Order: sequence, then structure tokens, then C-alpha cells
Amino acid sequence: MGHYFRPTTIKEALSLASDWPGNYKYFGGGTDLQIYRKQKLLNNEAIIDLSELDDTCSIKADENSMKLGAFVTLDEITTSSDIQTHFPLLAEAAASVATPVIRKTATMGGNLLVNNRCTLYNQSKEWRDAVGSCLREVGNICLVTGGKDKCFSRNVSDTAPALIALNAVVIIHSQDGKKEIPLQDIYARDGIKFHDHLDEDAIVSEIRVPTKPASWWFKKLRLRKTLDFTSLTVAATVDSAGIARVCLNGVSMSPVLIEESLKKLTVETVIKKARKNCKTVDNDLMPLKYRREMINVYLNEWWKSK
Amino acid sequence: MSGPIGKPTPYIDGVQKVTGKAMYTDDYRFPNMLYVGLLRSPHAHAHIKHIDTSAAETYPGVAAVTVGTDLPISFGILPISSDENAMAVEKVRYVGEIVAAVAAETMEAAQKGAEKIIVEYDPVRAFIDPGDSLEVCDPAEQIHSHTKGGKNIHKTAELRFNEPEKALEQSPFKRTESFKFAGVTHAFTEPHSTIAIWNGDETLTVISATQVPHYLHRNLSKVLELPMHRVQVKKPALGGGFGGKSDPFAHEMITAYLSMITKRPVKCTFSREEVFINNHGRHPTTIDMSVGCDQDGIITALDTDTIIDGGAYGSFGVVTSYYNGVLLQGPYKIDKLGFRTRRAYTNKSQCGAMRGHGAVNPRYAMEVILDMLAHDAGIDPCDLREKNFLEENTVTVGQLRITSNGVRDCLQAVREKSDWDKLYGKQPYGRGLGIGCGFYISGSALPIIWNRYPQTVVHAKLDFDGRIVMFSGASDIGQGSDTMLAQIASEELGVPMNYVQLEVADTKTTPVDLGSYSSRVTFMVGNAAKMAAEKLRNEMAKAIAKEKDVSADDIVFRDNKIFTEDGAVDISWEDGVETALAGRGAIVESGYYFSPKMGGDFKGSGAGLSPAYSFGAFISDVTVNPSTGSVKVEKIWAAHDCGKALNPLAVEGQIEGSIHMGLGQAVSEDMRYVNGQIVNANFFDYRIPYSVDTPDMDVTIIESNDSEGPYGAKEAGEGPIHPVLPSIGNAIYDAVGIRMMELPITPDKVLAKIQEKG
Amino acid sequence: MEKVQLNVNGFPQVVLVGSHETILETLRNRLNLTGTKQCCDEGTCGSCTVLMDGKPVLGCLTPTVRCVGKEIVTIEGVSSGDNLHPVQKQLVQNGGMQCGFCTPGVVMTAIPYLKENPDPSIDDIKEGLSGNLCRCTGYKKIIEAVKNAAEELNG
Repeated sequence: MGHYFRPTTIKEALSLASDWPGNYKYFGGGTDLQIYRKQKLLNNEAIIDLSELDDTCSIKADENSMKLGAFVTLDEITTSSDIQTHFPLLAEAAASVATPVIRKTATMGGNLLVNNRCTLYNQSKEWRDAVGSCLREVGNICLVTGGKDKCFSRNVSDTAPALIALNAVVIIHSQDGKKEIPLQDIYARDGIKFHDHLDEDAIVSEIRVPTKPASWWFKKLRLRKTLDFTSLTVAATVDSAGIARVCLNGVSMSPVLIEESLKKLTVETVIKKARKNCKTVDNDLMPLKYRREMINVYLNEWWKSK
Repeated sequence: MSGPIGKPTPYIDGVQKVTGKAMYTDDYRFPNMLYVGLLRSPHAHAHIKHIDTSAAETYPGVAAVTVGTDLPISFGILPISSDENAMAVEKVRYVGEIVAAVAAETMEAAQKGAEKIIVEYDPVRAFIDPGDSLEVCDPAEQIHSHTKGGKNIHKTAELRFNEPEKALEQSPFKRTESFKFAGVTHAFTEPHSTIAIWNGDETLTVISATQVPHYLHRNLSKVLELPMHRVQVKKPALGGGFGGKSDPFAHEMITAYLSMITKRPVKCTFSREEVFINNHGRHPTTIDMSVGCDQDGIITALDTDTIIDGGAYGSFGVVTSYYNGVLLQGPYKIDKLGFRTRRAYTNKSQCGAMRGHGAVNPRYAMEVILDMLAHDAGIDPCDLREKNFLEENTVTVGQLRITSNGVRDCLQAVREKSDWDKLYGKQPYGRGLGIGCGFYISGSALPIIWNRYPQTVVHAKLDFDGRIVMFSGASDIGQGSDTMLAQIASEELGVPMNYVQLEVADTKTTPVDLGSYSSRVTFMVGNAAKMAAEKLRNEMAKAIAKEKDVSADDIVFRDNKIFTEDGAVDISWEDGVETALAGRGAIVESGYYFSPKMGGDFKGSGAGLSPAYSFGAFISDVTVNPSTGSVKVEKIWAAHDCGKALNPLAVEGQIEGSIHMGLGQAVSEDMRYVNGQIVNANFFDYRIPYSVDTPDMDVTIIESNDSEGPYGAKEAGEGPIHPVLPSIGNAIYDAVGIRMMELPITPDKVLAKIQEKG
Repeated sequence: MEKVQLNVNGFPQVVLVGSHETILETLRNRLNLTGTKQCCDEGTCGSCTVLMDGKPVLGCLTPTVRCVGKEIVTIEGVSSGDNLHPVQKQLVQNGGMQCGFCTPGVVMTAIPYLKENPDPSIDDIKEGLSGNLCRCTGYKKIIEAVKNAAEELNG
């Protein structure tokens, strides 16, 4: 038996969440989580559909700043002329997610909070049972690394690195109230508990980008030009003060940010920092060695482009 | 041609398909229908110690439970390797093999019911790498007890003509290279689906997504121990096959059995993951191939040693084993030729026939080596190929009879269109052109099961209403064979296509056709349909001639009229029908097709025999990014000799579809396994090219007008895939100077080769 | 289970549905609207695309309950065959379908796409249909059909 709720206010949503402690899941567009449900990776009785919350579906972007409701769809992001004009980095990142029709349902907030993935975890129940369940589910070891007691599942959001590079903050609501924190702080370097600073009932309602960067760069590594989850996403900005924010995703448990004044950086130091901070393991269809090499290639490309 | 033959003709079922009205198997619902839930093995290789079905039997909604021992008779598409059971008996041989099944009132109850079945297993050593299967093993570990020498080799196919190894030794130019090909799968869009209905008259009707109603008919009869006359198989609209629906399947046996024991309609439809598990795709393959040529670029000899990874069961594997060798006999003349193919059983789901069956991987190897030899000998790769093409009306060393052959025209067409002579070897680093040729059978001349019947029979019926109904067992799987039947009747009888209607792919009402495999339908069914329609026309002409006192030979059927050139007869179709049917009623005429006798008298001589062969030459234009290794196929020029394009729209569609499927195998698709378990059983991870990933395509149809094909036609469905892959591989060489010996050619492999080259 | 009122192809009806079931399941299994196809059931192929208030959504990912209060249009609601939409007509005439299984999804993606993009280039159409898996045609004839349909619609 299941229940499906469609609250229209954040208050109502939080109240529903408190009615179903530990037994609900929020849906944005639900495009990713529906697959988790079919694969029996999510078994909650209640679905709280947030896609129709009031005041969470607007886009405001100008030459100074950007304010996005969390339940704006990725399609609305990619087609917004204001975003294309002033924050093309985000438009491009959003356009790289999934397929055009999925982007008409998938939300901005949903993509920021997309579940971490692993080749040996995102499988059907029968598949997981046959291979022997992994650490992230009910097993004792990580199957990818062959025994490590740590999970290295990958954060695969393409918009997260873009918005982190844009120095975004998110507005979060929970029973404990409303708070504003830097986007990068909601990610944890843990493949199982991959979110931080988010109470269980937390709802991300808004994303704010304070300033427009002086320059930007974005690239997503994938085999096909559509549908594929990322094998490596790099988003980078440089602000007017010459501070570079380079964010890598798809190669670690959380987005990896390198923030430094260009004056103090060389391409070698960026690569060194990136390689050191990315806990990349063989949990993607592209081989590990290649993904690591491509970190160098992409960072070099960014360096030359700026 | 005065009718639709040779003209671009939209599919007769097109409107049904674009409006969602076309009924595929899963779209059928019957009153009181049950659903099948399957329990699959979590082990790659294990003995079944015990199965406890009691909890499933009492689970709410479950109507019946069945296990392997209920259906102990084995089956398989080839009688010589009938090694499968409906459900595992005694032993499971791959992860995902069906062990037990339930029929229940709802899909959910069926699934949950199946989960209640408890199976105790005793795992034994699993053979995942085909190399391990070639070694002697503990008899207790043997995958099948029938394999010889204590090894897990299913089949060794070997033929040698004129001591190729000697000629290779003496060749001025020689290349010996190793190639590796990942397994790929059909990935048709419609998942497998079957509905079985046990009728009140103690007959069984099975509606199934199958390319081979006839072989399903035979195998159902065998496994269920029901006489053939009590089994009816119907194929409704079918959502793609590519060889992946050309075996009789376990789930079809199970669904039919559950219907027999519950006496209710039962449906089984696979999830996408189950489709991947079912596989039957192209074999993972390793090829060691040697080819030599002389100073002039004339091929001296070819020798190849191939291992194909068959998975746990036989399927078409014996044929695949031979095809990997015998289909190297064209499109080039090679008089000294040898091959050995060993098909290994492994503990993975079985491989079988897939578009271009057995010949795609060796074709890649051959065409890449020819490219290397061309460079070694300092000859343009197109020139080298031209020097070696087989002539028309010739016989190959293994006694394949080549009739029409338009390969020279194919090569010339793409060479000109691509501006090859100006661009090859002369473009900036990172951009390149590559050539690949190919040929393929236009229907296997031998049936799978030896018999004295024709390959196919078509009935043409005419009744008072003026409608022509063509009855054919042929299976339209999207390739357009139904449209072809209507075109032929329309052409022969001079009526608009909407006067022709079809009864197809129903083993009760339609005469036997062996199925949609080996690219046989246009050639064989086309000939039979033409004969049936001609006989019907002649029968009408005879009656009209008698009544009007003219010679039957002078009567013309055209533009919905029946007339003689001198005007002695000038009547409408309807009046002609009235005359022809007077005093006798409906006319039914029968056409058939027998393959001519051909081939050598050595063992294995039957493999690759076909009444005609298609030919092709493709050129690919690629861009390679040397810093990321990514390959973009910009454009493919394709020229294919299909004899005569009965429906150019459909022929183009087959060529374009082949480009897409060949591209997928070349650059992105592969069946990945972890401990024998498919790890990418979904479209996120089994990476088929989408619209944005496919190149520009320029298709040229070459018509060599085969003397035995219907109106000169040969096949177009499988031949066009062969040149695609090597043309891409060879273009990468032209772009960046590296030889890709392993498919799929993913960016990591390209980058590694570029780095290795330095 | 929930009793919901759905508006499908302009016809309101009350249906008992599972709280978590998808509109694809509801359409096929409860309303017998089998023109919408189940191919991958995980959002990767576009075969189950339907319109929700004019916007294309994937039936396999869309909870039925979310469709309450919306207008759902399926392939059956586009045309019964007499008056084919230009996209449908062009797909037939151009050979833009072979097995036809992905075709309803292609139609339901292309129609709203052309509404939003009335004058697309070939590359634009490739992008617009980049969530639709076709294993038969190599896409060329589909793309051409949609291009022709755009021209026809623009008169």
C-alpha cells in the first residue's frame, strides 16, 4: 500500500513529512527516484510530491544575480533567455542532463539532490541479490573496491558543479526553520550519507547566485550526446577579482571544489588538487584510468581557455 | 513495372503504427487472463538441490506453479543443439536462467508468488572467460555433459581449402593480427511477450513476439508433447527483432504450459532487464587472422582462428561457428582459405543470431587487414579491393555460387561521392576516410530442419468481392515484408494496393514460411508470392479469354483494368473477377519457392549457401579528437547492391538502420559482465546511439538485377551492416594513424593507442 | 488504491489506481489505451511519451496521481486515422517508422516540439528527439519526416 501527497505549501509538506517519519520520500520531478522505486532501492510508503509547491517555480536572472525556485524544471532553465544571457554556464549544464523530455519534468532542486550512483548499486533487486548486496545496501563491503568499508558512489549532478562554481547558496526549510547555506556545504564526502547540513525533512526551496562571473567554462564527459549520466563534469568560473572556482563532479562522492586566486594557481596545482581531492574508483562504465586522465585533459582545456 | 514494384511505397501498416492502433503482443488482453511470474537463478553455475514451491502455491492469487521437471523435454532452434529446457532441470547455467514460474491473477501476485519459491543451490565453478572453456576441466564442472574431451567446447567448425598456410608463408606481404569484439545485443524496442490460450477444443493458441512462428510451432509441439495440428502460433505486430526473436524461447514454453494446466489465457511480458538477460545477441569474439597479398595487391590466402563465446546454450551457435569462416569467401576472390571457429560454452546467457549473423566481426578483421596490406604494398585501399572483387556468375573456393554482383558499382559510387581520391590520406591530422566492403547471403539455401517441402508457400485468394488476400507465413518484423506481399499482388494483378489484404504469420491459416532470419524473406517469399499472383492472374486470364474468345496471353492486367491491346477486351477489374469466378467461385492459387541445388559435397559445405548474395561498399568520414580520444562519425556514404529495390523506401530504411546498428557496435555498445552477470542491462548503460549520435547518411542503391530474385531482388536487411564497422575503423587510421583491434572503439582505447604511438 | 478522476483525451473518467502506479500502467492496464508503449520502463526511450496539459511527459516516470486535474492526451487522442496530424502523415510517407513500436512516442514528442519550435533545423530536430530510442530507422527518415511536418504546418 502506498500514499501519494501533493502539498501546495512548504508548511503542508513539512507537516506531511512529520506524519510519516522515516517512511516518506520527497519527489521533485521524480524522474530519477521513480527508477529507484522500481529497482526497490526506495521502499517508502509515502511519496510527497513537491512539484506544485507555491512560489518555487520562478526564475529571476539579470546581469547581477540569479534567483531560482527549486522546482523550476531543467527545461525552463535551459530555455530561459535571461539565464542564457546572464548565466549561460547554468543553461549549458542543465541542457546536458538526461533528455529533452525528461528535462521538462526534472527539477533544478531534484538535480542538485540527485542520488549518488554506482554501477553495482543502481541495479534491480534480483541483480543485487545475485551479485551479493553491497555496503550501501545491506552488505558489509564495497564490491567495487573489493573489500573497502567505505562507499565511493558518485555524485552525478551536472548542475551542482555549475552552481557551485557560480558560488550559489541554497535556501532550506525544515521543521527547525529556514536557513541559507553555500551549495557545496550540502554535499558530504560519503557515498552512503552523501548529503550534509540537510535535516531529514529538509526542502531546498530556492537557489541564489550572488554575482555574475567574469568568465565561465563547462564540459561533460559522456559517450553519447544525450541521456548519459556524467563520467566527469567540470564547471569553472573566474570572478572579477580573479578568483577561480573550479568544480568537478562525477568522479567522487561529492562535487570537488577548488577555489583560489588565479595569481596563486598554475594548471599543475589545479590538477594536483583535483586529483588529490577526487576519490575516483572504478564505478562507472568509462574506465578509471581514462576518467583520471580526462581530469587532466579537461583542466588543461579550461586553463588554456580562460 | 507498371505497379508499385520499384517505387517508394509507404508501409501498408503505417497508419496503424502512427496512430497507436497496431496491436503488439502485450497489447492483447483476454478475459480471465493470468500473468506469469518467473524465478531466475542468482548463480552462474550451480546444481539445484531442492525446490520448495509450497509457499508460492498458497500465495493469494497464484493459480499454478511449475518447475523444470514438469517440462523435461529439451528444445532449441537447431535440432543438433537442442540443449535448452523451459526451466532449469538439475542445474542452472547462467545468472538469470529461469528456474520456476507461477501464473497468477495479477502481475504483482505473479511476481510475489515467484519470490516465495525457495531453491537450494550447490554452486560449482563458473566459466566466464571462454578461454577457460577450451581447457579440460573436472567432469563435475562441465557445463554440458555432451561436450567432448572433457572441455566446454560446444562446436569446432573447420574448413581448409588449398593449404592457405603455405601460400601465406610465400606471400610478399602478410599480416597476422588479433582482434577482440565485445558481445552486443539486438535491443529491439518491444520487449519479449507471449500470450497462450488453451482453447475449448483442446488446441493451443500462442500469440508471440517471434520472428519464427514455424520453429516456435515445432518446438512447442515437442516440449508440450502436443501434436503439431493442435498448436497454433500467431505473430501480431512485432516491435523489432534483428535476430533476437528468432529462437524459440523458454518463456514461450512456460506460458503455453501454464495455459494448458490452468486452462486459462496466460501472458508473459519481459522487463527491459529480462530482455537483456535473454540476450541471444552477437557472440563476444576473438579472431586471429592472417591475410597475404602479392606485389600487385592480389590476395594470396586467408587463414583465421576464431573463438566465439556462446554462453550457456546452443541457440544458432553451430551456424554462427561456420558463418565466421565461410562468409569470408566474398566479396573477394580467395582461393586459399582456411578457418577454425571454436564456440565455447560459458556460464552467461546464450548468444545467437544477430543482424549480419556470424559475419560482422570477421568482416571487420578482414577489412582492417586489407587496409593494412594496401598500405604495406603502397596501393590505395579502394584499388586493392577492386583488384580482388569476385566476378559475377562465379563459384568460390568453398562452392558458394555467386550470381549477380554489383560490388564494383557500389565501390565506385561511394568513392566518387566521398571524393575519396582527393581526400584519402590527405586530410589534416584528426580527420579521415575509411572504406569497408561486404557481402551477405540472401536467404539460407538450406532449411534448419531437413525436409522435402519448399522454403515457403504463399496462397493468393480471390473472391467475388474483388479483394485479393495473400496468405503467407512470413513474419513482418518491421522490415516491411507485408508491404512487399501487397506490392507484388498489386503489381501482378494490376489493381491498387488497397485491393490486396493479408493474412500472415499464423500457423493455422497461413502456409508455412520458415521465418524472418538469414535475410531470406524478400528473395524466397517474394518469389513465392509472385508465383501465386501470376497463377491467379493466369487463371483469371484463362476464363476471360474463353468468354471473350481471345488468347489468354494477350490479356493485360493494369491500372485496375483488364484489357487486350487491340481493344477486344476492355473490362473493369470487377467485371474480370465476375467472369473468372463464374461457375467455380473463389480462386486460390499457391506459389512456392525451392532453393536450387548447389554446394560442395564436403562436411560443412551447406553453410553459407544462398541462392544469391548482396554486396556493398561504404565509406566513413570521421573526426578524432586526439586529446580525448573521442571519435565522431561525421558521415557515411553507403552503396548496397540489393539486386532490385522492390520498395526503395524500405531498402533505404534497412541501410540507414544498419548504419545505426553498425555504428553502435563500432563505437559504443557492449555487453558488460561482472562475474558473468550483465552489468548494463538498461539503455542508460548499454549505449545505443540516439538521434544526436548518428552521422549524416548518403545511401546509394545499386541494382544488379539478380536472375533468380523476384523482379531481380536480393536482400537488404543484413548485408548493409557489414561494411559499416570496418569503414569506421579504417577511417580512424586515416585520421590519426592507429589501428583499432578491439570493439567497441571507445575513447579510452583510442587515447591509449594514440599515446602508445606517441 | 485511490479513486481518481482523470481526463484522458478529453474524456473525464473515474479510475481506481494504485497510489504509486504510473500513468503508463494506468493507461495500458486500466484504460486499455495500449497505443502508449512500454519499452524500457525507466525513462530512457521515450516510447511512453504522453501529453500532460500539452507538455510531453514520460508515462513510465509520471505518477498517475500527479495527472489528476490535468489534461492527458495519448496517441489515441491525436487522430483516429482519418485526419492524421502532419507528423503522423509524414512519418508514414517518409518511411519514418519500421517496426513502429517507438512511433507513438516519437509522435507524442514531435507534436509538442513543433509547437514550441515551429521552424527547426535538422540538427534542432535531432536534439528535440534525442530522448527517443529507435532501433530500426537510424533516425534519418524520422528527422526528415518531422522537418517535412514542420514545413507543412507552417503552410
